[in-house]
Amino acid sequence: MTQTGLTLGPVLFNWSPDRLRDFYARIADEADVDRVHLGEVVCGKRQPFTDGLWPELIERLQAAGKEVVLSTLALPYNPRERASVVDFCKVGELAEINDLTALPTVAGKPFLVGPFVNVYNEGAARFLAGRGATGICLPVELPIASVAIIAGALPDVEFELFAFGRLPLALSGRCYHARLHGLHKDGCQFVCDRDPDGLPVDTLDGQQFLAINGIQTLSNGVEAFCPTPEELGRLGVRRLRLSPHTVDMVAVSRLYRALLDGKASRGETLAALKGLNLPGELVDGFTRGQPGSARVEMA
Amino acid sequence: MAEHFRGELPRLLRILAAPAGFLPLGPALTLAVRRFARRKPTVFDRLGEYGKCSFLIEPSDLDFSFLMVPDGVRSEVKCMRRRATQPADVTVRAPLLVLLGLLDGTLDGDAMFFNRAISVSGRTDALVALRNAIEDAELTPADFVGATGGLGKLVDRSVIGGLGLARRFTGSPIHGEPS
Amino acid sequence: MSLELVCPAGTPSALRAAVEAGAHSVYCGFRDETNARNFPGLNFSPDEMIEGVRFAHAHGAKVLVAINTFAKAGSMEAWKAALANAEKAGADAVILADLAVLDHAATHHPNLRLHLSVQAAAATPEAIAFYADTFGVKRVVMPRVLSVEEIAKLNAAINVETEAFVFGGLCPMTEGRCSLSSYATGKSPNLTGVCSPPEHVAYSEDRNGTATRLNGFTIDRFGAGEQAGYPTLCKGRFVAGGKTSYLFEDPVSLNAASLIAAFAKAGITALKIEGRQRGKGYVTEVVRTFRAAVDAIDAGGTEVEVGRLLAGLVEGGRQTSGAYKKTWR
Repeated sequence: MTQTGLTLGPVLFNWSPDRLRDFYARIADEADVDRVHLGEVVCGKRQPFTDGLWPELIERLQAAGKEVVLSTLALPYNPRERASVVDFCKVGELAEINDLTALPTVAGKPFLVGPFVNVYNEGAARFLAGRGATGICLPVELPIASVAIIAGALPDVEFELFAFGRLPLALSGRCYHARLHGLHKDGCQFVCDRDPDGLPVDTLDGQQFLAINGIQTLSNGVEAFCPTPEELGRLGVRRLRLSPHTVDMVAVSRLYRALLDGKASRGETLAALKGLNLPGELVDGFTRGQPGSARVEMA
Repeated sequence: MAEHFRGELPRLLRILAAPAGFLPLGPALTLAVRRFARRKPTVFDRLGEYGKCSFLIEPSDLDFSFLMVPDGVRSEVKCMRRRATQPADVTVRAPLLVLLGLLDGTLDGDAMFFNRAISVSGRTDALVALRNAIEDAELTPADFVGATGGLGKLVDRSVIGGLGLARRFTGSPIHGEPS
Repeated sequence: MSLELVCPAGTPSALRAAVEAGAHSVYCGFRDETNARNFPGLNFSPDEMIEGVRFAHAHGAKVLVAINTFAKAGSMEAWKAALANAEKAGADAVILADLAVLDHAATHHPNLRLHLSVQAAAATPEAIAFYADTFGVKRVVMPRVLSVEEIAKLNAAINVETEAFVFGGLCPMTEGRCSLSSYATGKSPNLTGVCSPPEHVAYSEDRNGTATRLNGFTIDRFGAGEQAGYPTLCKGRFVAGGKTSYLFEDPVSLNAASLIAAFAKAGITALKIEGRQRGKGYVTEVVRTFRAAVDAIDAGGTEVEVGRLLAGLVEGGRQTSGAYKKTWR
């Protein structure tokens, strides 16, 4: 059996170019992931700050033996954003599409499908595979029973699950960081950069609930899907995704690598994850057929 | 909250509406609902599993309530003093005229909820199902008493006319005007 | 050409009410998980759909059948049956979102007219062209996050009809891309056709007022006499950055009646009223008012005061033109 792949997903938050450069330098040298996604997925307004950065990071990561994937914007609107989606797909690296805007550009070539594209059944997966999709990271809310059915129906496609990080739950035309700060989206002053893991949203009774990241809403809880290699085999899932946070992602990648290689148990992995400086409680409801907010059971 | 909503029955009407001593309404309403289930079974198909739920309907301006299980031809309605109220799957509380307005479709349930004219506790899903089933039933007052034909039309005319009058009289919202 | 008014019908009686109040088209769904308003007690059986289409056609109105959820893996049957039943009923179009359902419809029901649901969130000329070229989609329902100016530009770049929401509940999130409800409850629009499902909603009174909880998460609390909103997650009050606010959206209803003329100028074909979960009281009132407004604009007249006429029917008692004006963002 081939080794289960480990992907470092795109950074969803508004990190400065310096922070991104330092982050990816360490990922290149030390992280136990075989694939790294680059690109701004959440907000087109952030793109001008990072666009110039990607070429050097691509080279840096490739030199370290990582496979690089370019992830496209999940909600492109204006002509500049739409053009960026098309450009990203034409760079020559493997592209991950997060909206069907990119489909006409990538169709006929191998490409990946991100978790923002609605693949809820084997029919949709087959359709995309027919257009050239070689890997699909399934939507975070997809029940685990559906994962097994979809992956079972298409053995040639590499299916991936979102395994670590705050869950990307929703996107909006409205910027919640700007709204909270009394600003207009067009004059947002990029206040989302103050919350490098997202800004926690609690209920009126003080329950930790969600987190906002510009136009995106995430879970407050940190997904920690920690399957055994056998479980993954039964599901037909060949790759897991780790979503970057300010927590030591090198440590996270090593924990998952050990788990997937059968060198650490689920309990050991979860206990070690809990010991890291995480932005929220560990949750894994979606992968157990429960509400996504259901806490991880340690036993 | 709902107690202070415009559209409450004036004190005099309230006294007249409250049955003295015992409450004979229950058996009559049970029969009326069962008869209705025989005539319009699709209304109860729409309710599905929620037909087994118990609904406590509390007119906030009267001191008695109705406990209903709308299980088609096995439906039951009990009328009881507020003090004797027993637990139900869902409780809905509103002024009587608002409740009647919801039954005949004159008032929009959501609008009444936004205006806080209705309060709900318990299984919200059961109430949503009942509301939707009632919505589609195109109920008329005659349906409640089981009257048909010419007599039914007469009942409808007199009750709807009377309701309209009562609403104007009490300032109860028609067409969901804001309170 | 005058604007087509597309009106909601959660039940056969609401369909009749909408048609009688002047709807050009009515949209409705089957009573199962194939449509995005899968609430208890709502929607149509296959026989009711046949009867509904017959009634609408007899009165010169069209019926658009929403089959706009994402088919469940391994059990496409319900969605296939819904397509077949819609065609059998004589539906004028089906409103779809899922690639698998679109693919099946285009292949097996070539005579069915296909509309793309807002749940597909197709907001760019590239995405819309993909759906039109691949499946023969004839009309796209605009995501509720575009401004009128953006819709006008979009219309200039595509060759299919567009339909825009004009009144009713307002999703602040991009529809079809939202898993907030399933995070809290396990059920969501994409998975089961419901958002913030009623069986997970509970109201409880305490000394601070009435708390609305969604599967244990407090999503709002209102004091006596305060206007209430739908018990919908994104319309709740939350605490972020030390501030308590309606962070995502205020309890307001969309009302873009003042933009009807602008919609026509932007090249929009149809205006859609939200509210399949609302009663026939609402449907009659809103449809009649909007028909008058559309007819008045059509005749070159002035705008009807829709906002004032419908104030009592809307959530929180307040109205917004939503994303159609860029300031909403």
